[in-house]
Amino acid sequence: MMTIFLKAGSELRLKLKPDVDYYTRRVETEGGKTLREILRQIGLDPAFVAFAYSEGKLRSLDSIPQDGQNITLQPPVSGG
Amino acid sequence: MAAKEKERYLRQLGLEEWNQDRLKSAGVFVAGVGGLGSASSLYLAAAGVGLLRLCDPDRLELSDLNRQVLYSERSLGKPKVEEARNMLAALNPEIKIEALSEKISERNIEQLAAGCGLIVDGLDNMETRIVLNSYSVRKRIPYVYGAVHGWVGLASLILPPKTGCLVCLMPSLPPAAGPIPVAGFIPGAIGLIQAAEACKHLMGVKGTLAGRLLVYDSRALNFDLVDWEKNPACPLCSKIE
Repeated sequence: MMTIFLKAGSELRLKLKPDVDYYTRRVETEGGKTLREILRQIGLDPAFVAFAYSEGKLRSLDSIPQDGQNITLQPPVSGG
Repeated sequence: MAAKEKERYLRQLGLEEWNQDRLKSAGVFVAGVGGLGSASSLYLAAAGVGLLRLCDPDRLELSDLNRQVLYSERSLGKPKVEEARNMLAALNPEIKIEALSEKISERNIEQLAAGCGLIVDGLDNMETRIVLNSYSVRKRIPYVYGAVHGWVGLASLILPPKTGCLVCLMPSLPPAAGPIPVAGFIPGAIGLIQAAEACKHLMGVKGTLAGRLLVYDSRALNFDLVDWEKNPACPLCSKIE
């Protein structure tokens, strides 16, 4: 098992259901799962995530997170 | 430069790397004069960008006034571009301002933006952003991206073919949303960043957001800079050399 920390703002935060602080949810998961699979595991539909990033780099939903990684999720941001 | 212009721009002319002539000779297409476009066009006009072409099909509604700072209640029901042109012309009569009350589409974008060397995004939906992005990539025209949602705003400078484009960031179109909740100061903050990026690019100032995405979360007071690399498999921009 490993632990990752997912963060989200705006309405996506409500879907993420943070438990560490206002923005962050701690997720225990098996190693080797993609971010997309982890989102489904916690009941968050990946369709609500426009893009994700970690340590200043964009991360594909098909990438495999590392133990302890912090990943920020962004919903579609389309207003003006 | 005329004496009045020298006086008007006095406080910026002394800046190292500032090039007023390059701003004066530039033409910028402002796609949308809502929350983002109100802020960006106000500062682009004040800075002395020679031509601002404003494009927006909408009329002002009361619910626009929490963020669209070019307007007042006197403008309710009137076409935004006309009101914006009047406001900006009063601010800076030295520049040329054109107002197009048109909805941007694949069919008309080339005609609407013809002759402008830079696009500033003031749109309120992803579908039209994809049209702008596609035009920017096809014509290799720099595109100052901005978007807002809730407490969050995004900004970047897309420079085809060097940087990634919107399709690299979001390969599939997110689901369409209804009216988007937004804190009024967020499009203001992002619009000003867009104006700064536009002026820096036009003047050749280094250190822009090209290849990087700014994510500003005002609730968390957090500014993230994320590398926005070109996707070698992007169906749109990967084929452009």
